[in-house]
Amino acid sequence: MTGTFIKIFFFMLATVSLYTYVGQLVPQFEEHPPKKQVITPETPTAELVNIGQDLLRGKGGCLVCHMDAEGGNNRGPDLRQAASAAAKHKPDLSAEAYLTESLLHPDVFLVPGYPKMMPAANKPPANLTPAEVKAVVAYMQTLGGMEPTVKVTAEDAAASKKTGAPVHRGRALLDEHGCTGCHKVAGEGGEVGPDLSTTAARHEPAEILRKLADPSAWITPGYPAGMMTKEMTQNLSEGDRQEIVAYLAGLAGKEYSAAGTLSPWSHEGVRLGLVILVFNLGLLLALAVARRQEKKGEAV
Amino acid sequence: MESTQPRTPPSAQPSAQPSAQPGAYAALKAAWKGVVKISLMLAVTYLVAHGFVSSLPAADYRSLFGFSNRSAIWIVAQLHLMFGAFVLGVPIFAYITEIIGVATKEKRYDGLAREFTKLLAMAYTLTAVLGCLLLLLLVVLYPKLTGYLSGLFKPTWLFYIVLIFGEVIVATLYWVTWDRLQGRLKKWHLLLGLLVNLWGTAILFTADIWVTFMMSPGGIDEINNLTSLWGAINNHTWMPINIHRLIANVAFGGAIVAAYAAVRFLNARTDAERAQYDWMGYIGSFIAIAAFIPLPFAGYWLGREIYQFSEQMGVSMMGGSFAWLWILQAMLIGLLFFAANFYLWLGMGRIPGAERYTKFQVGLMLILTLGFMIWATPRSIIASGMEMAAMGGSHHPFLGLFGVMAAKNTAVNMMILTTFISFMIYRRGNRIPVVPWATKGNIAQALIIALSTAIVVFYGFYSYFVPSITRIGFSIYQVGAVLAAMALFVAIDIPLLKGAKEIGPIQWGKIAPRAQYALFFLAISFTWLMGLMGYIRSGIRQYWHIYGRIADDSANAFTPTHGHATLMVSAITIVFFLLVSAVFAMAARYKDKDMDSEETAQ
Repeated sequence: MTGTFIKIFFFMLATVSLYTYVGQLVPQFEEHPPKKQVITPETPTAELVNIGQDLLRGKGGCLVCHMDAEGGNNRGPDLRQAASAAAKHKPDLSAEAYLTESLLHPDVFLVPGYPKMMPAANKPPANLTPAEVKAVVAYMQTLGGMEPTVKVTAEDAAASKKTGAPVHRGRALLDEHGCTGCHKVAGEGGEVGPDLSTTAARHEPAEILRKLADPSAWITPGYPAGMMTKEMTQNLSEGDRQEIVAYLAGLAGKEYSAAGTLSPWSHEGVRLGLVILVFNLGLLLALAVARRQEKKGEAV
Repeated sequence: MESTQPRTPPSAQPSAQPSAQPGAYAALKAAWKGVVKISLMLAVTYLVAHGFVSSLPAADYRSLFGFSNRSAIWIVAQLHLMFGAFVLGVPIFAYITEIIGVATKEKRYDGLAREFTKLLAMAYTLTAVLGCLLLLLLVVLYPKLTGYLSGLFKPTWLFYIVLIFGEVIVATLYWVTWDRLQGRLKKWHLLLGLLVNLWGTAILFTADIWVTFMMSPGGIDEINNLTSLWGAINNHTWMPINIHRLIANVAFGGAIVAAYAAVRFLNARTDAERAQYDWMGYIGSFIAIAAFIPLPFAGYWLGREIYQFSEQMGVSMMGGSFAWLWILQAMLIGLLFFAANFYLWLGMGRIPGAERYTKFQVGLMLILTLGFMIWATPRSIIASGMEMAAMGGSHHPFLGLFGVMAAKNTAVNMMILTTFISFMIYRRGNRIPVVPWATKGNIAQALIIALSTAIVVFYGFYSYFVPSITRIGFSIYQVGAVLAAMALFVAIDIPLLKGAKEIGPIQWGKIAPRAQYALFFLAISFTWLMGLMGYIRSGIRQYWHIYGRIADDSANAFTPTHGHATLMVSAITIVFFLLVSAVFAMAARYKDKDMDSEETAQ
């Protein structure tokens, strides 16, 4: 028996080795996520063009369908002619406006001979920020031999920061959503509402999360109800709420994972535990009844 | 299937004879033991996870003992999936086998179904252990993502737990009441079997929710808040993956059971044992191949849905960096076809009269080889500058013609048809039709195959001269022609062979030992293929945890090289077989221990 197992084991090793070997024969390369680039109104045009090129070839995923100076595919129009084609396709638009429209609203105008298949560049999976879209437009203009005309504004740069989604950004979120206008946090901010620096010392993370989801859930003694409305927090995503709670917990000297691991798991865990316990007890009861019936049967 | 069996099997009787008849109390006690086991596992998982999370600093990503968090999840998730596929696939065909036993009144089918089910007990435990380990790793290593997903899918967790307990109870009852619910009570056992499978399918569909959401998220707004739970569940890829996995589980379970039978065959001491396990291996491989044939069609549906969801994701999968892995997949599937046909041809050696058909084997082999070569020919792949210069462009001027879907669809349909013909020849190996219309029937069958071949080849050629949108439609005609041919052929074959003259009974057990290695090859290749496909499915998300929504910000966000991926798949395959060997060894020694003890207790 041992001999058979050894033979089978070596047969398996030989088979998987063959597949692994073929796997080593094909081209080997790693694909890395796109680099995070910072674009500001001060970014020089030449750098903006370079960033646009990186975005087009990387994060934007444009070469999956299009061709640029380096290569790509011909499922979509050749990007080397895109800027110069503006005058022909949309005579009423400048090249910059035409390219911006084609990136943000690709279905508005389809180049003849190509199907409707492109997702908007500012939507998933590319998710380009406004500043990144401008960088790509700048690069596409140079591809067509033009001088870049785009200008990155302070609003573009701010919008880009907003969607950057850095980790553990509780403080930044409090500022972004205007919380610090009324609340003091770590010595800074307004005094209309209670100081948030010590909130987590008095309340569990789950309670703060509930408050953020529904401000009327509980009111800090000494402060009037209704000052903080649901409209003020409705734009907070679940992730942002978790980030804020993690930050406040840190201020109070507590540890809380922004992932919310402790909160949903302790909460859900107890609930699931109860269900499991009830299930086990129910089965035990059924077992006792069955045993009793069987004993009765034996007695009869 | 049943007609290939001898009318008076020499020694293919089930070895596991009824040994106990547990009452309701004993059956419930066995189910309760299973529930307690799962409850304890969950409690330990929860406590350990809580312990880790409380003691480790808050982070979005963690690694344990310097081991890559991605590799840890990759290995454990894939192993859990493989065992899950086994424990969900095996009951499906155990149930089918049981029904065949009831319909044909042949006891040995019941024994075979019972033997299949016996393999499950240990496999269930291992699946649960791996599932708990996976949960633990997700909570500890990927807390942020797990927190988001668990919050989003809260109601499904509770549902999942209920399903798991339900499955443990019905599967245990299905096993322990096997001997008690016989005769006129058999219908209740069949009902239990149905419940096991319905429950198992529900578990699969629920687990697929989380996986498919990560691939093709739906039901969330722009800032990733849940807007519709049903929208998140019924995302683009949920149903295609459900169906694809359901079929694949049956094929995988069949292949693993066939491998188990092959081990038992090689270790058999008596002719009776050899006969029994030869038959079991044949049935397992038959189910594996039968389920394997419709898999490419389910795969096409999944592919179409991926394109519908995101053209970019679809193109990355088929024409981007993952294109090379499809070449590897083509090689694997081609080899699976070879192994299946090889097993059938060797199996004809135990059928008196089958030598009449040996002459067809060379032709069938040539078609398979040609199909394999065409199917494995790449076209839309990333080539280096040197490779392109050597080819004179991004595609090879001649071989490139075989790399397009027109040629590949033709090739795979011809390979399916060839395998089908091999099986049909095997089926009539020892029989001579005696019905008055036998000649006409044979001619009709030959015409059906010829017509189907002509349709497949015609559309294959014609595809080169039409735009891609029309070409996609042609694949439906090709698939339709093959499926229709198979259905019509079988519809004629059943009455044609009714009361056929038998040259001699099938000599179960009299098959070359190398045929058993063909069964191992099927099981190993299926497992490896499953690992590879799992990697592709997960890998096409690239640097996203949830495609287009939540990016992977960890150091492991990159897509590894194909060489690294294949090494991982191979390592997982080896670990899986080592674990499954332990299950087999225990199943082989397990002589109805539980049922014997229950008998003693009574």
